[in-house]
Amino acid sequence: MKDLKELKKIEEFSNQCMKCGFCSFFCPVYQEEKMETSVARGKNFLVKQILAGNQEFTPEMADIIGKCLLCKRCAANCPAKTQIDRVVVGARAQLVKEKGLGAIKNFAFRKVMANRKAFGKYARLMQKFQWMMPTTEGKIKHLPDFVKGLGKRNFPSLSKTFLRDQVKPVYKPQNGEKPKMRVGFFMGCATDFVYPELGLKLIDFLTRHGVEVVVPEDQNCCGAAIYFSGDLETGRMLADLNIKAFKDLNVDYIVTACGTCSSTLKDYQKYLPDTEEQKERYTEFEKKIKDSTEFVIDILKIPPQDFKLRKEFEGKTVTWHDPCHLVRYQNIKDQPRAILKALKGIKYVEMPNADMCCGMGGSFSVYHYDLTKKIAGKKMDGIKATGADIVVTACPGCMINLIDNVLLNKMPQKVHHFLELVE
Amino acid sequence: MLKESLISEFQKIVGKDNVLTAPEAMKAYSYDGTTSWIHEPDVVIFPTTTDEVSRIMKLANAEKIPVTPRGGGTNVSGGSVPWHGGIVLAMTRMNKILKIDKENLTATVEPGVVLQDLTLRLMKDGLFFPPDPQSFLGATMGGIISENAGGPACVKYGVTKQYILGIEVVLPTGEVVHLGGRTLKNVVGYDLLHIFISAEGTLGVITSAELKLNPLPLAKKTLCVVYDDVAVAGESVYHVLENGVIPDKIELIDNWVINRIEEMMPIGLPKDADACLLFEVDGIPEAVEKEAEKIAEITKKYGAKEVRVAKDADDANKYWMARRAGFAAVFGKAKTVFAEDVTVPRGNIPKLINRCKELAKKYNLEIVVLGHAGDGNLHPAILTDINNKDHYDRALKAMDAIIEGAVEFGGVLSGEHGIGLEKQKFMKKVTEPAVINMMKNIKALIDPNNIMNPGKIWE
Repeated sequence: MKDLKELKKIEEFSNQCMKCGFCSFFCPVYQEEKMETSVARGKNFLVKQILAGNQEFTPEMADIIGKCLLCKRCAANCPAKTQIDRVVVGARAQLVKEKGLGAIKNFAFRKVMANRKAFGKYARLMQKFQWMMPTTEGKIKHLPDFVKGLGKRNFPSLSKTFLRDQVKPVYKPQNGEKPKMRVGFFMGCATDFVYPELGLKLIDFLTRHGVEVVVPEDQNCCGAAIYFSGDLETGRMLADLNIKAFKDLNVDYIVTACGTCSSTLKDYQKYLPDTEEQKERYTEFEKKIKDSTEFVIDILKIPPQDFKLRKEFEGKTVTWHDPCHLVRYQNIKDQPRAILKALKGIKYVEMPNADMCCGMGGSFSVYHYDLTKKIAGKKMDGIKATGADIVVTACPGCMINLIDNVLLNKMPQKVHHFLELVE
Repeated sequence: MLKESLISEFQKIVGKDNVLTAPEAMKAYSYDGTTSWIHEPDVVIFPTTTDEVSRIMKLANAEKIPVTPRGGGTNVSGGSVPWHGGIVLAMTRMNKILKIDKENLTATVEPGVVLQDLTLRLMKDGLFFPPDPQSFLGATMGGIISENAGGPACVKYGVTKQYILGIEVVLPTGEVVHLGGRTLKNVVGYDLLHIFISAEGTLGVITSAELKLNPLPLAKKTLCVVYDDVAVAGESVYHVLENGVIPDKIELIDNWVINRIEEMMPIGLPKDADACLLFEVDGIPEAVEKEAEKIAEITKKYGAKEVRVAKDADDANKYWMARRAGFAAVFGKAKTVFAEDVTVPRGNIPKLINRCKELAKKYNLEIVVLGHAGDGNLHPAILTDINNKDHYDRALKAMDAIIEGAVEFGGVLSGEHGIGLEKQKFMKKVTEPAVINMMKNIKALIDPNNIMNPGKIWE
């Protein structure tokens, strides 16, 4: 009998599904493909077949399990409360255990992303060569014509100076008073390499509100792309490194400006544990994690009148895009809206499909770029319907994908993190 | 297994991307919404035009390959399971709303349109399609017509067949015919349209339909009425109706379901109540207010313990979410569930409920009662485990007895789910042989090679 350890761990979730098929209505991938292997019910049925010994991890099976954004819209609306995200991650973990990661992911996850210094080195190398890529506009670049096979993908350029090279270990409150709280700042890769100004904005915002911020140098990638791809082993290694990095700093909370990072750090306890000891340690860690949106509203309790709009945004109409990792992974939806509605000088308009996935899904967009564009296309329709000038969100991953698709669709909207809007 | 050459013929008709043959995909098209009916097809084909369907059917008919049409696969009778293999004709990519005619209150749709997508689209024009099978998030119009689906709103609005004016059908021979039309009245010869509605895909493939619509009601109100005795709740239903109020929905949930819902999503239902009736009234705001008052007055007069009126739309929505979660609650609590669909004349609901209670006691089983009390359609669910032989045998006996009871009280075997595979063994018991014979003759006339969804309805 084959060792199906990773699948056994999620068998109870898999058994919850009663095959009603309601997930089809909520699944962005099914809505495009309209076939049963795209949707949670089909994937779950096939996972059960593996558990029953009627199905192997064939290349087709690997493709089916891979073709999920993990946006959790199906799970959030499942009448039987099936946690299909755990089934998909479990199946991917089993696949990695049986077939390995493949050369590219093995190199990317284990040799680059799992090691902060190495990741920084490779990112710097890429930064040096990005002049080769044509500029779309401003800081946005796209792939040159000779690799057009990959699509005309737009992405923000890597920053000249990474955040890690700009931060100090400790920031005291700006008013010089005794800090009302001490928090650790978790930067995350996208903030570090692409949007360092977001990290600096968050530190500035927090210290202006009486918070002391510490930035441990030993922090690593949160591990989202890695463990959601099924590499739980490297995921656990990163979890342990990150827990260690913040362990002796005596912080009340750990705050990040990236919605995916905050959710990933909180969910170590859900997807990663192999032992009771790990489960306890990860659960303990979870309690300290706060997304920047929830931290300013729920913990700092900043009153509406204290949010000040930056001049350049005055008179603009803004709308909010819910990152999956905020709205469904963390149930954070009111906080960012409260911030935007508190800002005097802008008009807030709700987007009709605000909670729809942007189509990024981490490495999903690498392997299924055509689907990503179609799913993002529907998001763009929602954005157009609002008539907004600015799409605001709080996840650099979403920002990168939204920028790409706004440009592809030749739309005038700009994409910003909420931190960019506030003084 | 089908010949390679045939597969490439199908690919020529619909394009390579619209033909699936991978074993994984065959497994994913082997089931529907039932627990235990599973059979794989040999190929899955996604047509996108009537002409493609016609060409596929001609080929299938010439080669005598079984064809099972399938929409969202949400049905709960085994109806869309390809019991003899062959082709699954997945209609999900033929999903355009072709026309909304506000002047005539009609819409023309392709079979793969999902009911909820239609509802959201019609809402923009202030219209709605009244039949509301609770699988509306996944169910497609082709399936809804083929199963003659109903739902809670049937008390006031009736079932699907009352809202289909005409259909375009591809016959098993590949011929395209148009049945019915676009008018409200139509007596031109035999009413063949209604033979195809509820045929469960055994006579042809519906490729478009003309729907009759209603204007959206301006107001709605929900009441949750609490009872100490589920049979008294059953009696309340006709007391409300005989006093001149026709709510659009009257739903029943019993004590067991109430408690499971409260575990899953606490909304403050009375856990000690033997049953609750959920009423919804809709229409002109003033009338809705009066009708709600009247329901409160009548139900109290006839033994209701408490009447709760939903404060606003959100509050009302909570109750209806809970009602929808009822089924999930049932299926989540047992290895195997028999979800019955028996329907009796409304006045006999209390008798049927009491029979279920007696049977639960007699066979020492959990029999849960929920359903559309307003139209006499109950879904008693028997919780059992197929791997526990003694328990399972008792459950089978109880199911037989419930169906016998329904027939004894003047009712039928299935109200809205259809026969499919699930109810076949009862079909003969409760239907006159001459009637079954007539059905078989109609089938043979239209489908001489018996390729359309074979293995269904009859044993």
